[in-house]
Formats: sequence, C-alpha cells, structure tokens
Amino acid sequence: MKKAIIYIGQWFSDWYFIFARELKHIFRDSGVLIIFFLACLAYPVLYGLIYSNGILENMPVAVVDNSGSSASRRFIRKLDATREIEISRTCRNMDEAEKLMQKREVHGIVMIPSDFGANLETGRQGTVSTYADMSSFIYYKNLTMGVNMVMLDEMDRSSGPIKYEDNIPYNRAFSYGVFFLSAILLIIIQQTMFFGISMMSGTMREENRSYAILPERLDGRGISRTVLGRGAAYWLLYVGIGVYVLSIAPKLIGMPQNCPFGDIFILLMFFVSACVVFSFTFSVFIRHRETVFVIFLLMSVVCLFLTGFSWPSGSFPKFWEAVSWIFPSTFAVRAFMNMNTAGAGLSMAEPQIAALTIQIIAYYILACLEVFIDNVRRTRRERGIPAVSIPPCPPCLPTGEKPR
Amino acid sequence: MNFLNNIKVVSLRELRLMRQRPVYLLASVGVMAFCMIFFLTFLKDGTPHDLPVGIVDMDNSSLSRNFIRQMEATKLMETTGFDSYTSAREALQTGEITSFCVIPENFYSDVLSYRQPVLTFYVNNLYFVGGALSYKELLTLANLSSGAVQREVLRAKGLDEETVMGLIQPIVIDAHNIGNPSGDYRVFLSSALIPGVLETIVILLTVYAIGSELKHGTSRHLLEKAGGSMTAAMIGKLLPYTVLFTLMGIICNFIMYGWMGFPMAGSVWNLCLGTFILVLASEAVAFFIIGTLPVLRLAISISALYSMLAFSLAGFSLPVESMSAWIQGLASAFPLRHYYLMYVSEAFYAGGFSGWYMQAVFMLLFLFLPPLVYKRLRKAYVNLNFPRK
Repeated sequence: MKKAIIYIGQWFSDWYFIFARELKHIFRDSGVLIIFFLACLAYPVLYGLIYSNGILENMPVAVVDNSGSSASRRFIRKLDATREIEISRTCRNMDEAEKLMQKREVHGIVMIPSDFGANLETGRQGTVSTYADMSSFIYYKNLTMGVNMVMLDEMDRSSGPIKYEDNIPYNRAFSYGVFFLSAILLIIIQQTMFFGISMMSGTMREENRSYAILPERLDGRGISRTVLGRGAAYWLLYVGIGVYVLSIAPKLIGMPQNCPFGDIFILLMFFVSACVVFSFTFSVFIRHRETVFVIFLLMSVVCLFLTGFSWPSGSFPKFWEAVSWIFPSTFAVRAFMNMNTAGAGLSMAEPQIAALTIQIIAYYILACLEVFIDNVRRTRRERGIPAVSIPPCPPCLPTGEKPR
Repeated sequence: MNFLNNIKVVSLRELRLMRQRPVYLLASVGVMAFCMIFFLTFLKDGTPHDLPVGIVDMDNSSLSRNFIRQMEATKLMETTGFDSYTSAREALQTGEITSFCVIPENFYSDVLSYRQPVLTFYVNNLYFVGGALSYKELLTLANLSSGAVQREVLRAKGLDEETVMGLIQPIVIDAHNIGNPSGDYRVFLSSALIPGVLETIVILLTVYAIGSELKHGTSRHLLEKAGGSMTAAMIGKLLPYTVLFTLMGIICNFIMYGWMGFPMAGSVWNLCLGTFILVLASEAVAFFIIGTLPVLRLAISISALYSMLAFSLAGFSLPVESMSAWIQGLASAFPLRHYYLMYVSEAFYAGGFSGWYMQAVFMLLFLFLPPLVYKRLRKAYVNLNFPRK
C-alpha cells in the first residue's frame, strides 16, 4: 500500500517536472510562440474578414437582346431583380459582350435570340443562351441559379400538377464563408500544433537532446509520464486557444453558432487530445526545426480537402478516403459542422467522437513506442552518459490522488 | 568576367548542398509531385457522383416509386429510404445525406384528381459542391416529373408536341461554359491550386536556402566563394533554384494542359512564361522576408503564414470582388493573384500578350522588393549579428 502511494507520488512529481520543463521550453521559443499564438489569434479573424460576406451578390452580367420584344425585356428585368445577377451592360452584339468578359467587367453573358418573342407569342419554346465565366465556381453558380430561377418563374408553377417547396435549413444563402470557416478553424488548431511540436522536437534534435528524455534513474521505464507530461503542456495551452478559435472567434466574425458551448467544448477536448498524440507521432520525422515547414506546410491544404468540406466525402477515391482517416481534422471538422451550423447535438456526433477516440489510443501507443525506441537507441549510443538529472523525490509525498 | 565566374562557383556550391541535404529536393520535387498526384487523382471524376439523397415515401404508389427510380437513374444521386421525416432530418444534420425529399401521402391520387400535391425538399448546404449540385438536380427532377404528368394530360387533349412543350416550359436555357465546358471541378481547382503550391514551395525554400547560411554561420564562407560580392552570392545561390522551380512549373503545365487535356484556348508556352515570372516574383517576396527578418526560425514562420493566405486571396474559390475593399487591395500583394488573372486571360480567351501584359508587369513589380532589404541582409551575412537559435 505504502509502496503504491510512493509510486504514485513519484509518478506525479516526474510528470509535473516534465510538464513544467516543456512549458518553459515553449515560452522561450519565439518561433513556436508565433505559430501558437499569432497564427491562432490572427488567422480566424483574418479569414473571418476575408469571408465575412461569403457570397457574391449582383454579379455583373452583360445582355445581348436581339429580340427586343416585351417578353425578352421582362426576362431581363426579372434577371436584374435576382440577388445573384445584375445586368450591368447592354451590348449590341456578342463580340462586344465577349470583350467585356475578357476584361473581367462582366462574368456572364445572356443572349436572347431574335426569334424569342415571336416563339413565345405563338406558343412555342423560346431559347435563351448563357455564357458563364468559369474562372470561379461561384460565377458559374450565380449565373446558372439566377437564370434558372427566372426560367422556372416563367413556367407558371401554379398550374402544374405537382408543386414543390424547398427548404434549405442551414446556410440558406450558400455562403462560401460558412463552409470554409467551419473547416479552416479546426485545421488551424491541428496544423499549428503539429508545426509547433515538430519545431520543438526538431530543436531538441539539433541541440542533441531528445524529445524522449526519461527520468534517468528509472532505467528505461516511465514512458507514460514523459508522453503525458509533455502532452499535458500542449493540451493545456490548446484547450485555451481552442476555446478562442471555436467559440470566441466565431462570435467576433459573426459565424452562425447553433450549438451550446458545453458540447463544442467536449468535442474540443477530444480533438485537442487527438492532435497532441498525432503531432507527437509524426514529429519524430523532423530532424531540423525549419524543415517541418518546407516539407509539411502544404499538407494543410491537403487536410482541408480531405475533410470533405468542398468535394463530397462520398466521392473520395478509396485510397484518399483511407488517407483521410490519419488526420484528426477529418472527423472533427465533420462533427463541428454538424453541431455548430446544423445544430446537431453531441450525441449525433458519436461516430466522429468514436473515431477520434480510436485515434487517441492508437497515436498514444505509437508515441510511447517512439519514446521507447529512441531511448533504447540513445542508451546504446551513449552508454553511461546521464540524459538529464531529475531532482530526487522525497520518499513520502502526501498525495492521495489516483492516476486518471 | 570575374563576376560571372563568382556566380558559377557559388552555384556549384549550392548544387553540392542540394545533393548533400535531401531536404531541398524533397521539399521541391517531392512536395510538388505529391500535390500533383493528390489534386489530380482526388478529383479525378471531375463531377461528383452517387451523392446520397434520402427519400421519405409516405405514398408508396406506382407514381412515387417511379419518381424514386428516376432519381436513381441520374448519375449524380443515389437514394436511401427513410421511414419518417425525423430520421431523415437526423441523417441530414449529421451529413449522412446531402438532401432529402418528402413525398406526401395520397400523392398519386392527388395528382390524378388535380389537387396539386406538394413535394418537399430539404437540402444540407454545409457541404459545398454536394449541396449545390443535389439541390439543382432535385429542382430539375421535380419540374420534369411535373412536366411529364402535364404532358400526358395535354397530349390526351390532342395538342401537338411543340405546343405541349411551349405550354409546359416556355423558356429553355442553352448554357455555355467559357473556359471549362464540362464544368469539371478538377479544372476549377487544380489550375489555380497547383501554381499556388509552386508559389508556396518557392517562397519557403528560398527563405530556407538563404536563411540556412545564417543559421549555420556559413554566410561568410559563401561570400568568400563569391569573391566578396553579395550580388554574385545571391544570384549564384538562387540560380539553380530558379531553374529547378521553373522546370517544375513547366512540367506541371504540360501535364495539366497537355497530357490531361485541361482546356487551353491560348498557348501553353505563354503560360509557362507566366510561370517563370511567378517564380521570380515569389523569390523576390522570399528575399524580402528573410532580408527584413534575418533569423531563419522567425522568417520561415512568417513565410508560412503569408503563403497560406495566398490560396484564399487569389480569388479562385471566392471571388475577390465579394471581399471588402482593403482585402481586395491586400490580394494584390500576392503574386498568385496576378498569375491567376493571367492564366484566365490566356487559357480562357487566348488573350496573348495584350491580354495579360499588365499582370506580368504587376508580378515584375515584386522585383523591386529585394533592393529594399539588400543592404540589411548583406550586413547580416557579414556580421552574423542576429540570433541564430
């Protein structure tokens, strides 16, 4: 019994030592601080400003009205009245309109042929030709939606045998900001943490220290307190940062928030834990502190697409779907979107939370394994040289706490 | 002559460094190859297919089953049945389905007796492309099936086909997509993302290459090799990278516009010229960053923050016009923005030199950045007076 208490006391004292040492290292490193604090504080707000509007209203469109009939004029008037389109130019011919599109003064052309009015009057179908600027999906979407809405409006829906009604409960306006911000906020958390941790372990490597230093007198044991001690330092920082990124920043930038803070906080705890062990696992590949950026920076863009915020996850090729399971962001972004924007409860995010839990366990085991391997290597290489000196712990520590 | 010789000596030294440290090739060729493979295979279908769409069929008649069969027949959608509105709504909220459609009770009998039953759609717009496309497809289907019923009725009255169609759908739209005829999402993204990847690689690696000399304290050795000339040292150092980056860019252009057959109205060579200018402009930006902050660890963090923003501000996802005025101004501070405009002019309209020379000029303006910090960087190289750790 007494032995157990001593062990637990020793465990906590070692754990605390490693935890405090890691925090000290973090706050001494300005490069890491830039990534942790500047990036996490500034990016959400910056992205919020960029995507604050998120939709393109009244996109300039040129019209070529060869018909000049009352029907064509009505069609043009209705187009102009849509939220998507503004008829900014009236051109005499297609050449003129095409030139405007080349100069990017308009992003679409609507051409009404000369027989349009006559066709409608005699009860035949009239054709309207549209030319969309495909340099952005949004231009294409705006022109197609605007013209289709007017076309449907002209169909006199009231007399059809079947009526329909559409409901778009979340993100009614198709705002690009809502999709993008929900995904990028979690990517910011994951990637900054990964870069920061990799920079730290790269620095230690350069200085010929190890990220995997164990208390020397334990003789190769004590892996869990090293991993948990270092992990706790990042975990603590990031729960704070995460509350800002997922709860305060969205308020600042006016993102919809349809989920109680408590639920988001629980998701955040799972996500941050997964990110810590994920970053530990992959940071061993970093030998020099700066190389993490030159090699892995663009993984942020890849991670973003693997969340499925834009391209639907059901259409992922099998291989990339499997790759997406590596990253905590894949599951956390989906859970966050469903909860924060669609108002799904925490219980509905169960599959994603389960996936994050599996990642936490798997990456924790891998991280411990790496510490073990690194120590075996080190002791072989430099037998007899003490790795680090840890102050001995008094044998009787008054602590009744049990390890969690 | 001596100057040229110095450049040559420095370049050879740099090539040796690149051979010795695998990180240089890994971070350029390796990263580029990975990104090319990712973006070109990830979106290989161009348009999504089999989007999961839910159906709540309360009618269960031959007409409602026919409607579901029509949905299944489209390449885009795949249907899943739900018993109730509640279970379908939950699936929608968790992103399991992109949209669902409720077919009301007595749908068939209401159609027959002309009581105008209402089909109800619910669309989850949180997943960008999937939401937008399934919404469009559902609208079309509803109109088609409404039209099909109407057509039968009108035909039975003895009207000819042309009149029937004129009554059901008076206006038809004949849509043309300029620059990307099939609306291939891969073209939308890759043609701007891949140059963005190139820009990022150039900025990071240039900062890394120049900054490493400071970090390892080898800058004096470099200057010695260059005969004491900072200009020769910098030109010699960046020359091998410029060649490498430009080659990478050109190969990517030919893979996309040649081999993969991305639409290209103009000339690929003009675009390659643009790629070369993009490389130069990005190197200038990198030089400016490391010159202002001659500490590798800080400069590389700042470059990372800067280059990630380029992807948003180039304007190929959300158009720049929809952003506030000062952000539109900020967008001009990224070479990628000008390259993207140049690409549109060349690939969509075959604009040629007269179409995009202004964008080339804007990119070349970035070359005025290095002289601003040139002296500062030389001092840092000579004195090594900035913190290295």
